Amino acid sequence: MSLQAASSPTRPWLTGMSEAIPLLGGYVPVAISFGLIATQAGFSAWEAVAISTLIYAGASQFLFVGMVATGAPLWLVVAMTLLINLRHVVYAPNLAPWLTSSRLWPSLMHGLTDQVFALAHARLPQLPAAQRLGWFGGAALLAWMSWIGGTALGAFAGGELVARWALMGEILPFALPALFLVLIAPRFTSRRWSLALGLTILAALALTVTGLTNLAIPLAAACGALCFQVAKFDHSQKSEHVQGERHE
Amino acid sequence: MSSALWIAVLASALGTLLIRVLPLFWMQRRLERQGNDDSLEAMPQWLSLLGPVMIAAVFGVSLMPVTPSATSWLATLIGILATLAVWWYKRTLGWPVAAGVAAYGVGVMLLG
Repeated sequence: MSLQAASSPTRPWLTGMSEAIPLLGGYVPVAISFGLIATQAGFSAWEAVAISTLIYAGASQFLFVGMVATGAPLWLVVAMTLLINLRHVVYAPNLAPWLTSSRLWPSLMHGLTDQVFALAHARLPQLPAAQRLGWFGGAALLAWMSWIGGTALGAFAGGELVARWALMGEILPFALPALFLVLIAPRFTSRRWSLALGLTILAALALTVTGLTNLAIPLAAACGALCFQVAKFDHSQKSEHVQGERHE
Repeated sequence: MSSALWIAVLASALGTLLIRVLPLFWMQRRLERQGNDDSLEAMPQWLSLLGPVMIAAVFGVSLMPVTPSATSWLATLIGILATLAVWWYKRTLGWPVAAGVAAYGVGVMLLG
């Protein structure tokens, strides 16, 4: 195993929460920004909190309030929100092999954001089956609560917070790339995977720099997947798939 | 918020939830149908490929600094190197992230 974070056999939810703490560095500043922007766009503080609680999908929430503020037709607002979130369609199936038979899993999928998926995809295979539900519940709940809490902070006191903690708002979000790097680093297991993942990272960064943030994840992932299929080195395709998937 | 706007919020929330949940049901049914001991073998090849590349894409997007400038890009590089170095040494989840954020913060303050 590449990541050997400690897990408590009796309180897996606590382990999940502690391992999700790095997500807060990215979630809270962005959620504060959302709360602030939503109130500036004419939503009340409680309405901003309701949006974060119910939709719970960062980029699409910004788009939602932005489009509503500009008077876009509501059907188009909903369509664009769902279009941006469409990338989530591949997350749950990727976790399915490690999910237990509990009926709670579908309701927990509300918390399956980009970041929670990345964390769960790395950690669930390493946990005993009995701990997975608790671990995921703890991690997802902490992330969700931090998003809601951050939105409330931004909506009620955003202007003052941004002015007083400007530097922290710039530094703390680095927890997200640092966490993703730790999650993706063990997957550089062969030349083929390294090439595909490296290209994906560069493509996503280039698209983001050029302002295509909402398209960056699906387009870059498609580039990387295509690269993996096209690039063939000495090893067999099947063994590399399994090796990469189990990130040994 | 008007009633129409509340309906738009609820429709977006329900749609997003379905985007996250329905593929789970599809995959669970597929796993049950195949009844394979090794459930990874039951996963379509394209799907097992998409997991790691999606994480790589999210990483690439997150590399963009909050306030892009030469200083913040250099601090990002410092933070990435510090994260990688500590991960290489410790192979854990928490310490590399803490080291990366600390290195990035020091970089921003010293270079800025």
